[in-house]
Amino acid sequence: MAPLEDLERDYPIIDSNFRMFCASHGIFTDTDFLLHDLSALEAFARQDYAPDKLEQGIKQMISIIESGQRPWLNGVELLEDSQLNKCTLSTGCEGIDILLQGGLREGHVTELVGPSCSGKTQICLKSASHVARNSLGKVVYFDTGNSFSPKRVAQFLSLLSDPSATQTNKAVERDMSSIVCHSVFDIFTLLDMLRQLMNNLRSQISFQVRMLIIDSLSSLIAPVLGGGGAHGHALMATAGFLLKEIAHESNLCVVVTNHMVAGEAGMLKPALGESWKSIPHVRLLLSGKYSATGTRITILKHPYLVCPSQKKLLMSILQYWHPLRMKASGKSADFVVL
Amino acid sequence: MTSAFSWIAADETAEQALVRIYKKRPFLIFPPPFHRLPLRAGNVVEIVGPSPSAKTLILIQAAINCILPKEWKGVSYGGLERAVLFIDLDCRFDVSSISRALQRRIIDANGLRRSSLKGNGNEYDKELFVSSMRRFLYTRCYNSFEFLATLKTLHHRIQQEKGGSAVYMLLIDSIGAFYWMDRALPTSSTGNNNNRKSLSLQTVVETVVQEIQRLLVAHPMLVLATKSAAFGDKQSITEVIRKRPDEKMPDPRDAQNKPHRCFMPSVWQSFVSHRMLLRALDGESKHQNRPTFSTEWLLPPLNCSDHFTVNDVWICSVRIASIFFIANLIVSSFAAGLSLDPQMKCRRKCSAVTKR
Repeated sequence: MAPLEDLERDYPIIDSNFRMFCASHGIFTDTDFLLHDLSALEAFARQDYAPDKLEQGIKQMISIIESGQRPWLNGVELLEDSQLNKCTLSTGCEGIDILLQGGLREGHVTELVGPSCSGKTQICLKSASHVARNSLGKVVYFDTGNSFSPKRVAQFLSLLSDPSATQTNKAVERDMSSIVCHSVFDIFTLLDMLRQLMNNLRSQISFQVRMLIIDSLSSLIAPVLGGGGAHGHALMATAGFLLKEIAHESNLCVVVTNHMVAGEAGMLKPALGESWKSIPHVRLLLSGKYSATGTRITILKHPYLVCPSQKKLLMSILQYWHPLRMKASGKSADFVVL
Repeated sequence: MTSAFSWIAADETAEQALVRIYKKRPFLIFPPPFHRLPLRAGNVVEIVGPSPSAKTLILIQAAINCILPKEWKGVSYGGLERAVLFIDLDCRFDVSSISRALQRRIIDANGLRRSSLKGNGNEYDKELFVSSMRRFLYTRCYNSFEFLATLKTLHHRIQQEKGGSAVYMLLIDSIGAFYWMDRALPTSSTGNNNNRKSLSLQTVVETVVQEIQRLLVAHPMLVLATKSAAFGDKQSITEVIRKRPDEKMPDPRDAQNKPHRCFMPSVWQSFVSHRMLLRALDGESKHQNRPTFSTEWLLPPLNCSDHFTVNDVWICSVRIASIFFIANLIVSSFAAGLSLDPQMKCRRKCSAVTKR
């Protein structure tokens, strides 16, 4: 929403005369220009006493609009971009990697949806530590429910490394430092931080971030949804498009989690429901059965792997004692995604 | 007297006009799921369906039919050899989806399918693949203003493309992507300013429709737009669920036949010339674990629906048999209870009804 005055410095053709003409048609900013019928405007310009300058001004405005636009890419260029810049990052869980043919893809927003204790956070922590361990780059972790557990990450990291003790500690320390965790407790802070992250990624090339995790996104958005107004949904859509923009433009792998609430007739349903469905690229449903067999993961949606609602996979899960979880939930053992 | 009447003098007869229009914008029968109605440049087809109902997949299939040549090195592909513009408003497009489907199509057309499964799996005509992919043009927009800017400058872009092959299709996925964001746009603080357009969903959609209309005059294209059917229907959804326990045998067809309610402003609704409704079918008609969908034309209303499955080819990987997605839509069966005769009738009817 830049006022037309701001453009005069760079484009002298947009002078006070041209602005007067625009103002008489209700155009004060460049977004007003977008909403206006340009050929009608040109017709008006021709009737004016200085048609040439006005028409030049309109042409200038069009080229300003054009220059700010994303270029059209053809299929071959798209393929090149995806082969060069969009890699798959392993989650560290063999089952999921096989299911997704290699792991989480950069440029995609992946959603993990599942009831409480189905292992959403565990998968987030596991894949964060996997990226950190392989020195692939930094991981930005937005924690909304104080569920980030550095001890758990350290555990994962020491499990991954070879047992020679002195080196392990150093390596774990080094890898831990590449996971940056922020606590976020409301949607507005989240939007601010996402915008800040996007600016940082755009300006600093050395700031190598490969993965962004928001655990859980739904606990920020669900409270603002509901009621008659459109604002809650608008905030959700804004957050969704920001995530998709960050993922695509900076080649990040974005993982968000979505918890489940009781719906009609006691059936569990995702907290972010129908209008959220069109936002993530990949949706994975975790059906947490607390049994030794493991968690069942279903692909609900994927851009090119098929079988929504069909493919199921039992993750191999080992029992593992986890002090933090035990305290919180009073359960004796926690299942660990391995 | 003659000069007074000259303004009413005919430029051409109706027959001449028809011939001219048919030559310029010929009707084409597209492969399924569009096979029921002849479509032509200038039509605006809306594909409505809940998520997931293979909407984007249908767009990609249509794109492939457009970018492939009719014939290449003696093999018939049945395409149009024209360019496609894909405007991604959902920002979820993955190029792998089209490249995989295109590869599969080329392999299938060459009849290499059987041999490729045995031996070298990736044998396909690279030259044809590259030249077809070059005809696929893509951009994405993250908000309504970017979308408007794209439409405003599309005219220039298409003219650049004229050198190669003219653009035949404009694909929009999906038109309601910014619905909530636009609805919550701040009402203009300078609203009392006499002729300044206020920013709202209404004005944005009006401008979108106006720009596409203008574009279609200069460049006859077929517009395919997807629309998610979920939002705005909150009431009707809860109604259906509430009714369920009372009804003894809830007829699935009955529930599905609820009138489709459009959430987009009426400007867009009246702009659409064809509307196709997609539904995911679960339960009864699943073919070998493939997701099955049904299509139905709402505009012009046809009293028949088709079922199609999303076909996938099983390829065994080293550890686990996993399903690779090869996009092929197969129209498997027509709806039960339809003999050939009414189909013919409805086809005749729709060719009469089709507007533009």
